Amino acid sequence: MRPTRRCPRAGRLVPMVLAVATALVASGCSTSGQQPDDEPTASTTVVAPADSSAPPTSPSEPGPTTTTSPGTSERLVVAFPSDEGPLNLFAQHEEALTELVYDKLLAPSPYVDQPQPWLASSVEQLDPVTWEARLRDDVTWHDGEPFTAADVAFTVDLFKRSPSGRWTHHVTDTPRIDEVEVVDDTTVRFHCGYPCPFLGTVTLADLPMLPEHVWSDVEDPQAVVDLPVGTGPYRLTSYDATSGYVFEANGDHFAGAPMVDELVMPIIEDPATAFTALRTGEVDAVARLVPPELVEPFRADPDITVVDTSPLLFPELRLNFGRPPFDQPEFRAALSAAVDRQALLDTVWLGQGRSADQGYMHPDTPWAAPDLSTPTDPAAAERLLDGLDMVDDDGDGVREVDGAPVAFTIKVAANEPTWIRAAELLVEQFGAVGLEASVERLDPGAMGDLFSSRDFDSYVIGAPTHGVADPTQFVMSQESGYLWDLPEVPYPEMADLVEQWRASDTIEDRTDRLFEMERLLESAPTSIPLYYPNGPMAFRPGTWAGWVESPGYGLFHKWSLVPREAAVAANALVNPPE
Amino acid sequence: MRAVMSRVAQSLLVVIVATTLNFALPHLAPGDPVEYLYQGSAGSLTAEQLDDLRAGYGLDASLPEQYVAYWGGLFRGDLGVSVQHNRPVVDVLLERLPWTLLLVGTSTVIAAIVGTLAGAFAAWRRGSRGDVGLVTGVLVVDAMPGFWIGMVLVAVFAVQLGWFPSFGAAALGGPTAGWAAVAAVAHRLVLPMTTLVLATVGGTFLLARGAMSTTLGETWLAMARAKGVPPRRLATHHALRNALLPVATTLGLNVAVMLSGAVVIETVFAYPGLGSLVYDATIARDYPLLRGAFLLVTLGVVATNALVELAYPLLDPRVRRTGRGRS
Repeated sequence: MRPTRRCPRAGRLVPMVLAVATALVASGCSTSGQQPDDEPTASTTVVAPADSSAPPTSPSEPGPTTTTSPGTSERLVVAFPSDEGPLNLFAQHEEALTELVYDKLLAPSPYVDQPQPWLASSVEQLDPVTWEARLRDDVTWHDGEPFTAADVAFTVDLFKRSPSGRWTHHVTDTPRIDEVEVVDDTTVRFHCGYPCPFLGTVTLADLPMLPEHVWSDVEDPQAVVDLPVGTGPYRLTSYDATSGYVFEANGDHFAGAPMVDELVMPIIEDPATAFTALRTGEVDAVARLVPPELVEPFRADPDITVVDTSPLLFPELRLNFGRPPFDQPEFRAALSAAVDRQALLDTVWLGQGRSADQGYMHPDTPWAAPDLSTPTDPAAAERLLDGLDMVDDDGDGVREVDGAPVAFTIKVAANEPTWIRAAELLVEQFGAVGLEASVERLDPGAMGDLFSSRDFDSYVIGAPTHGVADPTQFVMSQESGYLWDLPEVPYPEMADLVEQWRASDTIEDRTDRLFEMERLLESAPTSIPLYYPNGPMAFRPGTWAGWVESPGYGLFHKWSLVPREAAVAANALVNPPE
Repeated sequence: MRAVMSRVAQSLLVVIVATTLNFALPHLAPGDPVEYLYQGSAGSLTAEQLDDLRAGYGLDASLPEQYVAYWGGLFRGDLGVSVQHNRPVVDVLLERLPWTLLLVGTSTVIAAIVGTLAGAFAAWRRGSRGDVGLVTGVLVVDAMPGFWIGMVLVAVFAVQLGWFPSFGAAALGGPTAGWAAVAAVAHRLVLPMTTLVLATVGGTFLLARGAMSTTLGETWLAMARAKGVPPRRLATHHALRNALLPVATTLGLNVAVMLSGAVVIETVFAYPGLGSLVYDATIARDYPLLRGAFLLVTLGVVATNALVELAYPLLDPRVRRTGRGRS
């Protein structure tokens, strides 16, 4: 889904906490499970269902009454907002689609703290730099070939070799997997270059598995345009850039046949067109957020159901930390204190969400420091600016430093009206503390160049799920130039924390270091979250009512479609059925 | 023959100049296709990885080197690889071209016929209620933006009446061959085509009305009338034929207008034509695809204008005689 959606309400935290608590209890029942609150040990089993040949079942599942089935459907039409090509993982792609085709060793994602076995039957940390995964022995690729340990080793190697993989740095840097040892057909060992306690909870829940027999002869992975072969619950049977995607259920999937036989996904880029098609009944669901102005009309429509979901993303104000005065921590802290996040939420997103005062990692992830709070404090902002000798000497309402007014621009994409409105409000809020900001609208193509050109003071953009819910990406962002640019731009405090993070060899220790990095970032942010938006999504329940929310994926993902008991077992649902 | 050769040479020159401009202009705008597509906003890739990606698309070379390579590719029929679609530009264009030809082609023809006939009728009945009504109606419709017309048509004929689909060019998973497929495509074509016709017919109507009015005021037409030529024949064989010339002249230019107008209409109807492709490629700074699409549009406009010019002798015997005299 596109990063224009909003985030969860506070009420969503309750079921998420319950789900996490349930998973914690469940893992405690396994033979050698470790929870983040456990004492650190060298050997850590993430999860190990007793019977690896059976579909995954939740250790916490008290009985069959914990799941409900929405029934089956022969065919659903879901409007998708963009052409993502033939789902090549090494080119442009969208994970809501690739997740239908590909599976990972653990599920559902790094966005929960207790991923569960999926392609793996168990994953165990043998020592600080070694993990062992035992694989299910009943998994086949869509072409009938068996899934083996060799495929796992090949996949990691391919991601390491690929120059363009979204997962490349997750095997070469955070963490660094030096070798994948094939012990036997169903056992692999991962040897890391430095301690990798997150490998089980993050990396293996993030890496989709690729078939060696399909990819081994490929010289340029990025150029592959063949339809993908995965192990996932759906096969992509047809892709046409002028019309869309057709997926057929993989009846042989190890978790059981999906509940919908055929998924037809026309590409409809314009939101108004997509939601018109939903209204006419030409599509059964739309895989994008409902615009705020359509929420109430759709709620009043008896044929349409609107569900508030919890997208793990938000709009942010990025600051150019390499350019004065943004290179001064006090100035960044002053900007952060001057931002009235509640006003931004109320005005720009009509109050549908939460004030973004809990830091850069989305508060609905287990990786957000729980004690972060950034209240609006214009008085504190003014004190900080005074301390920098930024004073309004000539009484025109704008502070000066060395005789020059403190002025900067906020760049924003011209096709994002809500972001433009947010930028305009920021201009007012910064003006209230004596800073002269102005909005500069750019076409979206020009916005994409800002990251490398560094030709900006600040700009508004959407932070995607991967960036605000994946803890290893958070660390990577300190080195890539996004949140900082270590080691090119010195930041000793952050560099020290990153080193401590790398040296830590338990989940608890590493999580603590992560939280410290978040606190340091929040004290002088290089990127200011503007609001955590809610994310209403809509479908026609008359054709199928089985859509359920998964953390970070909204409604339209494979966890709505696989047998409900498998989704519950994978800890993939925000509100598991009771 | 000399006129034809001269016309072909002119067209070639136009294509070469336009191709050069089309190559250079997208680079004037800030932006980078690899940044746009792969960087996202999470800083997922390092600068080295981004450089590797640029090299993969040949975007790491200097602009002059890329220009030379582009012309080399053109002579081989290779327009490069689309960064956005990760496929050869030729393939991407060819899968969109039929839909554009269908939408813009039919709309151009229908707008030309309807606009010309209505304009001629209004001129023939100049000052009558019919003329006033037509002019008023055309001006009202012409004042509406194309996307607005499309939205109104969707609201009425798709949402309220349910007569037509609201999006797409062909039903995904529907019939792909035979009359059923043709009927399905035609069914989905009605609303976008009607929108494009309504959005563009005004110009043709006013041009035809003006040309026809001028022609009707000519003394030779009064002479024909005095000689007893029946009114219907006078209108169709004499006045209309002469009034067609300026309409035909603008037909080639209208192709470009139609293509640009189709961008918005293709968006409203999720119609997979070249217009929306160019729009998306511009946003993404997909230089190879932009160059290819611009080349295709340039060739289309140049070819249409050349054909119109070559068709003049068929419409106007005076041109035929002049041409004969020259050769």
